[in-house]
Amino acid sequence: MSESRHSLECREAIERLYEYLDRELTPEVREEVERHLRMCGDCVKHFEFERAFLRFLEARARGRGAGPDVKRRILRELFGGDQ
Amino acid sequence: MTPTTEERRRQFEAEALPHLDAVFRYAHTLTGDPTRAEDLTQETMLKALRAWHQFERGSNARAWLLTILRNTFINEYRRRQHQGETVDLSAIEPYHVFDEVQDVDPEGRFFASIVDDEVLRAVRALPEEFREVLLLSDVEGFPYADIAKLLDVPIGTVKSRLFRARQALQQRLYDYAVEMGYIKRRAS
Repeated sequence: MSESRHSLECREAIERLYEYLDRELTPEVREEVERHLRMCGDCVKHFEFERAFLRFLEARARGRGAGPDVKRRILRELFGGDQ
Repeated sequence: MTPTTEERRRQFEAEALPHLDAVFRYAHTLTGDPTRAEDLTQETMLKALRAWHQFERGSNARAWLLTILRNTFINEYRRRQHQGETVDLSAIEPYHVFDEVQDVDPEGRFFASIVDDEVLRAVRALPEEFREVLLLSDVEGFPYADIAKLLDVPIGTVKSRLFRARQALQQRLYDYAVEMGYIKRRAS
């Protein structure tokens, strides 16, 4: 029987998509997902898309950190005026 | 033996200060305002220094600092909090964006065309509880269990917030990319 995009297996794999990408699955479940991915190009495509999105977030949703002025001010507050 | 002030300072500088940027980012995420984020950062670091003897050496200093920050925020800042604006999370259709782009841009290259300011604007448009889970997971890289502990919610809540936050953000960025002509909307 061929895999259709909405087969039960696909649904189960997609339900675990983010947990898989976040490395939050137990080794057994991870292996189950990977077994499915080895057979299902559609799910691989979807997983790769979401993986690209998470990489994008990691790189681009970071925002700025505390600027040098803020750091100086905080160090002064913390440890006195010798910074 | 109680460490001397000098030792305490050295420890704090070595273990807490490297996380100043993470503290600021979380403060900015919660307050939505850089000036208030600076104040909250400063207050957090002062409290942390005063409470440094309570920090369990060798445990996760970043998580410890962010917990102090969060408690401070809840107790002192929340009444003046920045409300996330208008995203209707109930209207989010799971994986809609992938369905839209899978034939034309399955690698999500269009994301790269979006300028930083727009990305951050989209993040800030999320409600606070979604913004913070997104930051803690996707920027700071904390595991679900640590986030659950920090936010004092069940892991299932972390998962569902994260899912909805990511999908909402993806949808908004996709709509923006369509609007800017970076990608064509699929003909319906």
